Amino acid sequence: MSHIETLRSLESLLVSFLERAVALKEDRLCVLDGINRLDDIAQGVFNGDDLTDQIGDWFAEHNHWLEDSRLKTADYNRMGKIFGQIKREIHASQDSSPAVMKISDEIDRWTEKASHRKLVLKRGPEVAQAKEADNTIALFGNMLNRIDDLFADLSGSGKHLLSVLDQTLKTASLQKSNEALLLSALIIYYLKLSNYMVEPYIRRLKEAESLQKGGG
Amino acid sequence: MLNPSEKAYTLALLALKRKDYRVAIGYFERAAPHFETNKEFNLLRDTTRLLVEVKEKLSALEIAEDRLEVEEVFSNGQEKDVL
Repeated sequence: MSHIETLRSLESLLVSFLERAVALKEDRLCVLDGINRLDDIAQGVFNGDDLTDQIGDWFAEHNHWLEDSRLKTADYNRMGKIFGQIKREIHASQDSSPAVMKISDEIDRWTEKASHRKLVLKRGPEVAQAKEADNTIALFGNMLNRIDDLFADLSGSGKHLLSVLDQTLKTASLQKSNEALLLSALIIYYLKLSNYMVEPYIRRLKEAESLQKGGG
Repeated sequence: MLNPSEKAYTLALLALKRKDYRVAIGYFERAAPHFETNKEFNLLRDTTRLLVEVKEKLSALEIAEDRLEVEEVFSNGQEKDVL
């Protein structure tokens, strides 16, 4: 096989791998793209742009999300924050235009629907976040956020905390995810305090930790 | 607003879906601060980087090969019968 043929073969293999990797995430990608675009709109509103039409279009395009089960708790939380920001910026009142009032009502409708899934509307930080890359408190805070997102993702379809723990341990071992390892440890300790038999899970946790350290 | 790194990761995946690999790398770089310990992220980013490098190498080799053919066909300023 010539040099060029070898490279073409490798190219084909890599393209195929990436295609399949993205295809596996197709549904999630659709949701995340929608949330990204909502965030872009919120950014525009924050900058003083009149994006009433775009917001209306977004609601029209994504209305079906409220009827199916593709959204996870973390998605509702993310959207809740964005809706909160939009609502603060548009200042809906009795004197507002019908379009603004309609958007305000639509946000309320989404919030109400989402509240059945324990939607948390969080206010964003008042000031720009400081550059704290080398600050252990900030690093730990970031880690906690990622752990929270991971738990929201994995707990969406789980029937019991033990099944979530099983998933986090698998993720910690197979993907060598640090967040999954820490979340597993947290769940195990929680279950231990609740008098569950956690020894088998501790064993798996140690195995996952060993894998992440390069052992096993 | 959403975490910029999370947005960038999504945009990287969308670029991969469009087979816009060079653009995907740019978004992966922007997402990296938040995902540097995420194995899946690193795998996708590194695979995309490798793919772009392979494509660049292939492109260079193919251009060189085309040039050789042209030189062969027009050696001494005269067109040769290539069949």
